[in-house]
Amino acid sequence: MMQNSLSFFNTRILKNSLSSKNIVLCLFVLLFPAIMYYGLDSISLILSKINIYPPIPPGDYMVYITVQVCIYILLAIGLNIVCGYTGLLDLGYVGFYLIGGYTVGLLMVRLGLSYWFALPIAIIHGAGWGLLRGAPTLRLTGDYFAIVTFGFAEFLRIAVKNEIWLIGDINGFVKKIPPVSIPFTEIEFRENWHHYYHILILIAIVIFVSYRLQHSRIGRAWIAIREDEQAAASMGINISRYKSLAFAISAAIGAIGGGFLAQFWGDLSARTFEFWESILILCMVILGGKGSIKGSIIGAIFIGFLGEILRFIPDQLDLPELAGARYLVYGVILVLLMRFRPDGLIFKKSG
Amino acid sequence: MDEFFQQLINALVLGGIYALIAVGYTMVYGIIQLINFAHGEVFMLGAYFAFTLVTAFHLPFWAAVPISMILCAGFGLLMDYVAYRPIRNAPRLSALITAIGVSIALQNIARIIWGAKPRPFPSDSLPSFMRQLGQNETPEIYFSLLGIEFTQANISFSENVSIAYLDFFIILLAIILMVALNRLVTLTKIGKAMRACAQSRIAANLMGINTNRVIAVTFAIGSFLGAIAGVMVGVREYIEPTMGYYKGVAAFAAAVLGGIGNITGAMFGGLLIGFAEVFGAGYIPYGYGSGYRIAIAYIVMIIVILIRPTGLFGKSTGHRA
Amino acid sequence: MRKWLIGLLLIPIVFVLGCDSGNQVRVAVAGPFTGNAAAFGEMIKRGAELKAKEINEAGGINGRQLKLLFGDDTGTEKEAKAVATRFATDRRVLAVVGHFNSTCSIAGKPIYKENGIVELSPGSTNVDVCQGSDWTFRNLYRDDFQGAFIAKYIKTYLTEYKTVGVIFENDDYGRGLRDGFLAEAEKIDLSVVADTAYDRDTTDYTAQLTNIKAENPDMLLISGLYGQAGLIAKQARNLGITAPFFGADGIDSPEFIIIAEDAANGTYLSTPFTFRAGGDEAANVAKAFEAEFGVPPDTWAALTYDAMGMIAEAIEKTYNSDAPLAENRKAIRDHLAGLDTPEEGYTGITGLTYFDKNGDTVNKPAYVKIVKDGEFTMAENQLLDSE
Repeated sequence: MMQNSLSFFNTRILKNSLSSKNIVLCLFVLLFPAIMYYGLDSISLILSKINIYPPIPPGDYMVYITVQVCIYILLAIGLNIVCGYTGLLDLGYVGFYLIGGYTVGLLMVRLGLSYWFALPIAIIHGAGWGLLRGAPTLRLTGDYFAIVTFGFAEFLRIAVKNEIWLIGDINGFVKKIPPVSIPFTEIEFRENWHHYYHILILIAIVIFVSYRLQHSRIGRAWIAIREDEQAAASMGINISRYKSLAFAISAAIGAIGGGFLAQFWGDLSARTFEFWESILILCMVILGGKGSIKGSIIGAIFIGFLGEILRFIPDQLDLPELAGARYLVYGVILVLLMRFRPDGLIFKKSG
Repeated sequence: MDEFFQQLINALVLGGIYALIAVGYTMVYGIIQLINFAHGEVFMLGAYFAFTLVTAFHLPFWAAVPISMILCAGFGLLMDYVAYRPIRNAPRLSALITAIGVSIALQNIARIIWGAKPRPFPSDSLPSFMRQLGQNETPEIYFSLLGIEFTQANISFSENVSIAYLDFFIILLAIILMVALNRLVTLTKIGKAMRACAQSRIAANLMGINTNRVIAVTFAIGSFLGAIAGVMVGVREYIEPTMGYYKGVAAFAAAVLGGIGNITGAMFGGLLIGFAEVFGAGYIPYGYGSGYRIAIAYIVMIIVILIRPTGLFGKSTGHRA
Repeated sequence: MRKWLIGLLLIPIVFVLGCDSGNQVRVAVAGPFTGNAAAFGEMIKRGAELKAKEINEAGGINGRQLKLLFGDDTGTEKEAKAVATRFATDRRVLAVVGHFNSTCSIAGKPIYKENGIVELSPGSTNVDVCQGSDWTFRNLYRDDFQGAFIAKYIKTYLTEYKTVGVIFENDDYGRGLRDGFLAEAEKIDLSVVADTAYDRDTTDYTAQLTNIKAENPDMLLISGLYGQAGLIAKQARNLGITAPFFGADGIDSPEFIIIAEDAANGTYLSTPFTFRAGGDEAANVAKAFEAEFGVPPDTWAALTYDAMGMIAEAIEKTYNSDAPLAENRKAIRDHLAGLDTPEEGYTGITGLTYFDKNGDTVNKPAYVKIVKDGEFTMAENQLLDSE
């Protein structure tokens, strides 16, 4: 444990992780857009010359979906801090996603602020709401905490719909969020692969922060709270402080996701932030295994792509009825996981 | 003043509906400390079962309702057996997540079977007193008593204050079922077993109570009541796969407000949420009331949990999870 | 290892099943086939399927079969963007018919524009849908036109109704329509005595209706979709509100009468289309639709049917199988943009459609229907000037 916690950049760990498998994986992640654009697209282009149209997804679409999944990876890592480390069930994570999105969107559209200023403000704003929601709920655990978080997120969504003076349009519409350009250059984030590298950097930062926290005093305190709150308190851990910290960091990560989303989409509406979205993120965390960054990532990738596969495969096979069953699958996944693998599909870890 | 009394009646009806659903939440929570998210879906299924029996099997309404209730009770048993019993000793969060999963699955199964379209009960299948009037039809007055007119369509207290027979029936039904349930829990053997389980499942088990059976019965009774609420809402409004979602959340807020695990509390909680919603929407000015109506139940729920987690009627149990 | 092999074998199967010959032209249809608005999506799908079937039975487009691809946007922005990206970057898709929800059309707009593919919406009425993109069209009118139309109609023909109460759904459609109505009502001095919102999920509207009743309006405008509007009608009658209702295209569905039952009688509604006004052709389509799907078509089925017809006509006139995809797509857009005068316009079952420079349909008249004895009938007076 001690060696593990020493450093993210511990040379020995770094050397161990330089296996050929990891290098291939890294290269794949880094070159993903190129593989899609030059690999996938050229195959279907060549085939289309001889009048064969196989159901190969277009490269740009694949990159788009991957960016979307990357947002979920970010959110899953963020939710993992509250759900996985401190063991509280947060059913309103989408609230912070909303805060981040609207903060960046409104600052950029209504005040004309640059994204690079708006994003840090959104992060602080998100963390502030995390603390605000956290303070009164500190003594709640389990179901009651879950229900308060649920009510909180739904309330925010309804507020966004109703406060037209603040949003500037009906139904929480924020339209025409301008594209972001890299500071001091003319390069604008327009193509999907621009967004891909943008979110990759954000994910790297979030993983780094999350990893360092997990393997520090703070992370151990969180896990102690999760395992037994009273025992942790008697060991001298300041429960309220550590819980508040978890809420704030988790909320800030949610806000990063929202901020990125605002500039990625260029418009927002209230319906994006429905309760369903919280459930989806929760599914990802639980599928991968609570308390594990790797698990959250794998869970997000699995569920994120599953939705797309279930949307188009039935249509390819002329079974459109199956497309309606897409959401059913998520529900069944949750039930079966809790029944057979409560610690997640990926890791067999004792609770 | 007429407006006020009419809103009072609206609130009573809505409160009655919430109370009927809230009982299902409160009973299950009282015994196994599980927020049965899927209870709203049982409510929805109750309405669909009755609807199918009436439209596809051409059963008379009065036969369809009890059958639907029994089907739902059976469904409650099944749900407990398949989804909840295997994880009874797992951490509480696992059970809650399972409940959410069951809820999502049921909602989508209903959508696949019955479609997403809202469907009303065909009015010719309903008993005549549940029907309503068209435009410009002057209702025939049957008789009047103490200035209260019993007309063909409704009971009217004055020109602008009236209650439809169906709504009156809902309130009556809520009261009767609550009293009956209260008797069941306080006077019968199974009621005693339920209370024992609620206090301590382990101790109850040691005393020779078959806790699994008691829990199953609890699920059955809760679903039974949920089904009748579902049918009543289906008749009064319409049936759609998502009908259980909002009403379920509001009813859960009612259960929390009344003190979760407490049947009398659920009744009053339901009424209070009904009042908060109707008077909020009716009297908060500048469109805030109607715009935020859907949030009122959430707000009440959050405030109660934060200030008095044991609810209005709940006993403090020391630790509240 | 064996599992992996089986998995690998499955890929070519999917590949072969999904493979199709080049002798097809493909048009995508995007709509909410699941989710809250699935009832509308179903009608859109059927309208498109019927038109495609008719075209294919008549020999296809220049001898090529028309194949439809469906993309489910569930009525949410996130899914709409994914579907839009999928279709816009798919090299088999020539044009997109969709989306239904305004939110989704607006969400897809930049993606369609970026990739140069036509988006022809048969259902989005929000004011902003077509603005800022040359590639987005719609074949029905806007919320603000319809709202203003209703105000004018009441002022012109329903003079016995002096005061109006408004109850609107708190989303883009309900609010957009209500805003259009209120703006025009103020201009022409129509007195609005009540104005209140409702949400789709709270299916009990008695609190708001009791408030409205206290103001005693002569007419009640329900700005929302048929399901909730039907309930509102029913609950209003139960509360003793005798004022007739006025609705918009959102309640133009047989389902409205099924839900509201007797309470629907006497309801006025404005709609971009009626099968009555559409003439013989529309009546035949309605008959074919009912024979095919067992239910009568509604406005959106008809609008999708026409949208599909417009795209098919554009493909027929411009398609060149040797040209690259982008050129074919551009040709379709240019063809649609060329339909900018009444003479050039496309005549379908919903009447004549032509576009202004935004891609909005300007001329489409609004018809007024009235519910009599549980049936939609044309109102006696029609206000057919389009502006």
